[in-house]
Amino acid sequence: MLRYLAYRVALIVPLLLGTALLIFLAGHYAPGDPVQVLLADHYTPQAAAHLRHELGLDRPLAAQFALYIARAARFDFGVSYINPDRRVADIVRQTLPVSLRLAAVAVAAAALAGTALGVCAAVLRRSSADRLIQLGVIAGLSVPSFVVAAVLVLVFALRWRLLPVAGWGHPADYPLPAAVLAAAPIAYITRISRASVQQALSEDYVRTARSKGLPGRSILARHVMRNAALPIVTTIGMAFGYAITGAFVVEVIFNIPGMARVAVDAILQRDYSVIQTAVLLYTTIFTLVNLAVDVSYAALNPRIRY
Amino acid sequence: MFVHRGVPALVVAAALLVALAGGPGPLPAAGQTAGALRTPLGGEPPTIDPYFATDFSSGDLTLLMYDTLVGFDGSGRLVPEAAKSWDVSPNGLVYTFHLRDNVYFHGGRKVTAADWKWSFERMGDPAVQTEVGDVVVGGIAGYDAQQKAGGGLAGIKIVDPLTLQIVLNPNSRGGFLNRLAYYAAVVLDRNVVERGGKSWYASHDAGSGPFSMREWVHNDHVSLTSAPRYFLGAPKIAGVEMPVVTQAQTRLSEYQAGQLDLVQVPLADFQRIKADPVMGKELLVFPRAQIIWLGPNPRVYEAFKDARVRRAFAMAIDRAKIARTVFFGFYQPAASIVPPGIPGFYSSYKGLPYDPAQAKKLLDEAGMTGKLPPLTMAINPIAQDYQMAAEATAAMLKENLGVDVQLQRQEFASFQQGMNRRTVFPSFMTGWAADYLDYSDYLDLLLYSKSPLDRVSYANPEFDRLVDQANAAPTDAARTALYHKAEALAVEDAAMIPMVFTQFALLKKPYVRGLQTTAALSGFLKFNTVSIEK
Repeated sequence: MLRYLAYRVALIVPLLLGTALLIFLAGHYAPGDPVQVLLADHYTPQAAAHLRHELGLDRPLAAQFALYIARAARFDFGVSYINPDRRVADIVRQTLPVSLRLAAVAVAAAALAGTALGVCAAVLRRSSADRLIQLGVIAGLSVPSFVVAAVLVLVFALRWRLLPVAGWGHPADYPLPAAVLAAAPIAYITRISRASVQQALSEDYVRTARSKGLPGRSILARHVMRNAALPIVTTIGMAFGYAITGAFVVEVIFNIPGMARVAVDAILQRDYSVIQTAVLLYTTIFTLVNLAVDVSYAALNPRIRY
Repeated sequence: MFVHRGVPALVVAAALLVALAGGPGPLPAAGQTAGALRTPLGGEPPTIDPYFATDFSSGDLTLLMYDTLVGFDGSGRLVPEAAKSWDVSPNGLVYTFHLRDNVYFHGGRKVTAADWKWSFERMGDPAVQTEVGDVVVGGIAGYDAQQKAGGGLAGIKIVDPLTLQIVLNPNSRGGFLNRLAYYAAVVLDRNVVERGGKSWYASHDAGSGPFSMREWVHNDHVSLTSAPRYFLGAPKIAGVEMPVVTQAQTRLSEYQAGQLDLVQVPLADFQRIKADPVMGKELLVFPRAQIIWLGPNPRVYEAFKDARVRRAFAMAIDRAKIARTVFFGFYQPAASIVPPGIPGFYSSYKGLPYDPAQAKKLLDEAGMTGKLPPLTMAINPIAQDYQMAAEATAAMLKENLGVDVQLQRQEFASFQQGMNRRTVFPSFMTGWAADYLDYSDYLDLLLYSKSPLDRVSYANPEFDRLVDQANAAPTDAARTALYHKAEALAVEDAAMIPMVFTQFALLKKPYVRGLQTTAALSGFLKFNTVSIEK
């Protein structure tokens, strides 16, 4: 187990290096020149040359990359191209916690609601409640998040005035964006937990438990859930990934000052250093979440040994 | 391995707790100051150093926190600001400004002529490389020497603490006062700038305007608080809360929900809002000093080298119809280049008429009938307006001249780059909005052969001569007359093809009183006259 863990952690290093290289090259070869964007209407060839030198863009590519890696290892991502007085690391320190907090709330909500609905649907199989839940799952999976957001804002913020339209800082700012981020994961988790609980319910040991007179609730908790948990945990891990990427839409719509909105702005403004950092960070987060999910398999399922 | 059955539940609960324990987070919400006006910034300001403020966010902040020597009122007329009056020498080269006695920096120090001299010298300082130096102080005597050797500006003299004298270079005297009314031509508190280091503006402002900076939470909001010692009297509102809201749609929703008091209306929503029983009454519509124009590029599209072909294109586009149908009458057809709202607007000029028959004839004379290769038209992607104008134009050119027009849309950076290179786009649909209300902000920049922004590579010696003469003209009337000649020449040469003049549409809550609007900037003047009467 420990060896496996060490192996998996070690694997992250080349993965991140490769990602960094890809990000770096993509930024370099993408059409459009950051210098032109920065200068915009004040463009002159002299000013462009000066700025290019200042940003280090006139150096050889390999040198630019080596410098980038060396600095990134020290959590130094340079300065923002658009606002050279701000360090990218400071931007990350300020905005990433916002995104993570929002994602955590969304995932927690999705995990609770999704598991509850899924178990409900499995236990009450083929009832009207089950059918209703199935319908909700299809809706949750197929309606895009920006539509969910628009509907929720219209109903809860503009019609009923219960919650703010957008913004960040109050507890009241959480429910709408978290609900939008949680919508699809709830559907996923419901579907998976319904299927796996259903499967577990049809196992022999459940029949045995029933025949020895255990009450339904304790069969569900002690025998069914423990066996059905594995795919559900995987899905929750995936839900976290979804919440992180979904934030690219949700943070913009709800005007949340998180990493995703900053990244979107950076993309629109071609703020290379911020884009590169955002992609690198998101890759790292994904890798770590996947690692955590894999490791949790072993913790949750005694049948799995590495 | 034994796992307690409560583990998954605990994990979930712990995640929830961690998430919530963070509470509302480190960012204080905007809109906290009671009695403050709430209006959004369209993006995180890249700087709040006024001399680098060329985007709307930092421009708005500069306007609210800083003072210029002269300003302009709602109708575009020059009015005294930090200078209570000024004298101009008979030859138009020496300006003497009499400063007000009651202008104070937010730190408490009185603003004197020495502060203006230091500020303007910083603006021109080649070591600082400001964005606005060339525009504002480029015409002051000694500017060229400063660019070469650094140091001060010989043309600025301190007569006494409240009298500032500025001597101009004889070749570029025109429009000087209008340039001084540019929102960025402000006085800075030297102490703040010098002590604050490179990003001195991050936590303090160095201004003397009606509002001072209370806090700037990056990517979230900027809060301004009213300055009690503002020379025109303390503002009636407690401050200005400016949340950063990047999406136009979100700004509109926040306004509807009562989270904002003043927002710009996106073009796409204009008709809906106009028809809305509540918001329709809160709508303010007024001219904006902005033109949408089509750039024919002779360096790429060979046929445009012939002025007759360019003219044929201009006369084959029904601008009135575009304004009426595409922009549902919200924008006005443009006969000239410089928009209404700029002093001296050439209102009597009719420009090139829409005349498809004449257009065909011109094309015939040029020997290009039926021979025009397909034309690619690049579209500025930053606003929907350009795409809308380009689609209609393409259809009209096809119908009237038989030329196939392909629209090319790309992201902003590539568009900007293509325009700047001048050798990429055969034609492009874009716009230009005033930084300061003066003719020179259009003709000198967009069409003068030596301007880096002459993206259509227009090089007509006669035009250049007229602009030079206008800038050296002794009186405003003579200057305007010369500019009109240059403008008419460029229009008839179809160096650029004017499409429409745009308008502002703002939504303002009824309890916000005393707002002064303008054709420039974001559509509003300083909020010192604004009150909130709920």
